[in-house]
Amino acid sequence: MSRFSFPRWSNLLLPVIILVGATMPLYAAYFVAYGFSPKTLDAGYQPTQPIPFSHALHAGQLGLDCRYCHIGVDRAASASIPVTQTCMNCHTTIRPESPKLAKLNESNLTGMPVEWTRVHKLPDFAFFNHAAHVTRGVGCATCHGRIDKMEVVYQFSPLSMGWCLECHREPVTNLRSPMDVTNMRLDPAKDLGIDEQTRLQARFQISPSENCTTCHR
Amino acid sequence: MPPRWLVFLALLATVAAVLPFTIVARVRATPDANRAVHIFQDMDFQAKFKTQTKNPLFADHRAMRPAVEGSVARGEVYADTHYWEGAVQGDWADGLPSQLQLTDAFIERGQQRFNIYCSACHGYSGYGDGIVNQRAMALMSNTNGPVMGTRWVAAKSLHDPLVREHRLGMLFNIATNGIRNMAGYQGQITTDDRWAIACYVQALQRSQNATTQDVPPELRKDLPLLK
Ligand code: HEC
Ligand code: HEC
Ligand code: HEC
Ligand code: HEC
Ligand code: HEC
Ligand code: HEC
Repeated sequence: MSRFSFPRWSNLLLPVIILVGATMPLYAAYFVAYGFSPKTLDAGYQPTQPIPFSHALHAGQLGLDCRYCHIGVDRAASASIPVTQTCMNCHTTIRPESPKLAKLNESNLTGMPVEWTRVHKLPDFAFFNHAAHVTRGVGCATCHGRIDKMEVVYQFSPLSMGWCLECHREPVTNLRSPMDVTNMRLDPAKDLGIDEQTRLQARFQISPSENCTTCHR
Repeated sequence: MPPRWLVFLALLATVAAVLPFTIVARVRATPDANRAVHIFQDMDFQAKFKTQTKNPLFADHRAMRPAVEGSVARGEVYADTHYWEGAVQGDWADGLPSQLQLTDAFIERGQQRFNIYCSACHGYSGYGDGIVNQRAMALMSNTNGPVMGTRWVAAKSLHDPLVREHRLGMLFNIATNGIRNMAGYQGQITTDDRWAIACYVQALQRSQNATTQDVPPELRKDLPLLK
């Protein structure tokens, strides 16, 4: 009766098993950190909207200022989605019979609001304020990306607490002049430079708070 | 040497280990509608209504209730027709209401607001050559007739002699209620800002029809044509 004996090459398995055993936890940790981060799970949300409204056309090609439609952005917490009348300023006379605008015309006739799908949603226990950022020189593009190039809006930033705090601790590289907040092409870190930005921070005395009650109230 | 199949299996496992990361990298790079994955719900969604949310209890589904017709907000007494309507005793006002002061900052505010709300059609210098106007005129002059029912009327040049005759109160009224084919901007621009815009429009008009007399004497020698 011949006994089973491990072949010679099986000696190689020991270091391999040790190597795999040692890297596995590291691998799993990296995967969880990368795959389950808000940058994967939250950023990039792009719902389909009831009307095929394009920022690339209106804010990009037509060059409309964000504040033409998002009227609350420099005076309130909420930027606010425009009411139907704002669209009708132009669309009563521009392409009124377009099938893409059917829902808009219907809303205008019935008085029911257009039910846009919300893209950015902070959890209900977190508080955010647009005016506090926009009037102090944090531009739309810093948090929302190049909206003027998006056919359909998607969430550019993770909106996690870590992301808020990263900037609240070190805001200077994100600052620009409050006059330029809706300028989409301006890249503050590149176009202004740290010296100019440090001057801006000193001039407007910008020191974002890290107190829990600033954002949880 | 280990058998072939084992080497093959080991290679396969190594390649497979890269796969999850590749998938995540792809997910990160392509926006889609299945995001905002809430693994732990915590108190993310609370039974409360936030700005511009939906409340099916009301017929129009608006959780934010529109003001009841005829209600007057605190501090907004519309009896002051100069401030609210731009009219004094039934005629267009010539100057600013007493609440507002004409300062450089006020005109600059007007310029900024004009560039946001009016320049799209009237152009930055007010000649009626804004991008939206150009785009809409192109739709009108389509060879097969206006596109999809477009019936655009050219945005007026603000330097048109008839428009230059408008008094300040009238300009304020146009910004507020619109005129003929132009919509009003009462809902989008605050009352103070509409006054600032009206002042800026008059400054703009004057800048395009300026004479040597408008330049302070000590600066006149710098005018290129007079040298
Ligand atoms: C002509 C009007 C108009 C202009 C100009 C405009 N927007 Fe919008 N915006 C909308 C409408 C309508 C929506 C809702 C539908 C959608 O999400 O596409 C919206 C949605 C958004 C959203 C997503 C809101 C959410 O649901 O979370 C962001 C962010 C945004 N806009 C930023 C901008 C920025 C930045 C600019 C300036 C570059 C801009 N918008 C200019 C009309 C406008
Ligand atoms: C300042 C003027 C202006 C405003 C305000 C405006 N639009 Fe437009 N819109 C245009 C112009 C100009 C076009 C392009 C027409 C063309 O050249 O085809 C357009 C095109 C569109 C189209 C494509 C129509 C088609 O048949 O291809 C849609 C959809 C649309 N707009 C939706 C909206 C919505 C929704 C709003 C309100 C949030 C809005 N627009 C506000 C000027 C405006
Ligand atoms: C500091 C980052 C930041 C900046 C700067 C910023 N936003 Fe936002 N924006 C957010 C966050 C966070 C939300 C989600 C708010 C919520 O869910 O309550 C949001 C939501 C929105 C919405 C959806 C409606 C609302 O108010 O909740 C619109 C529209 C919008 N932003 C437009 C703009 C425009 C236009 C600008 C530039 C003038 C701008 N934002 C600048 C972070 C920012
Ligand atoms: C890109 C930089 C940046 C990001 C990202 C950012 N903030 Fe801010 N935040 C600022 C600056 C700058 C100020 C103004 C500080 C000042 O006025 O001195 C501010 C102020 C605030 C204020 C007002 C504080 C007060 O004193 O009233 C709140 C609330 C706030 N941030 C919440 C948030 C939340 C919530 C987020 C994440 C969703 C966020 N911020 C992300 C830069 C940022
Ligand atoms: C600059 C704004 C800001 C400040 C300051 C801040 N938070 Fe947050 N916090 C947030 C936001 C935004 C979220 C939601 C993030 C998300 O989407 O999960 C959050 C989430 C949380 C959560 C819930 C996490 C979860 O996943 O359920 C806790 C707990 C929390 N914060 C505690 C604190 C404490 C304690 C402090 C003070 C040391 C603090 N926060 C300061 C913005 C802030
Ligand atoms: C959506 C395009 C559009 C925008 C934005 C717009 N206008 Fe007009 N405006 C027009 C058109 C079109 C006319 C010509 C109306 C007509 O003749 O039927 C006009 C006419 C005028 C006139 C001349 C009225 C007359 O007596 O003939 C004035 C003054 C004026 N606009 C001021 C403004 C001001 C101030 C703003 C900003 C608050 C503004 N407009 C924004 C389209 C626009």
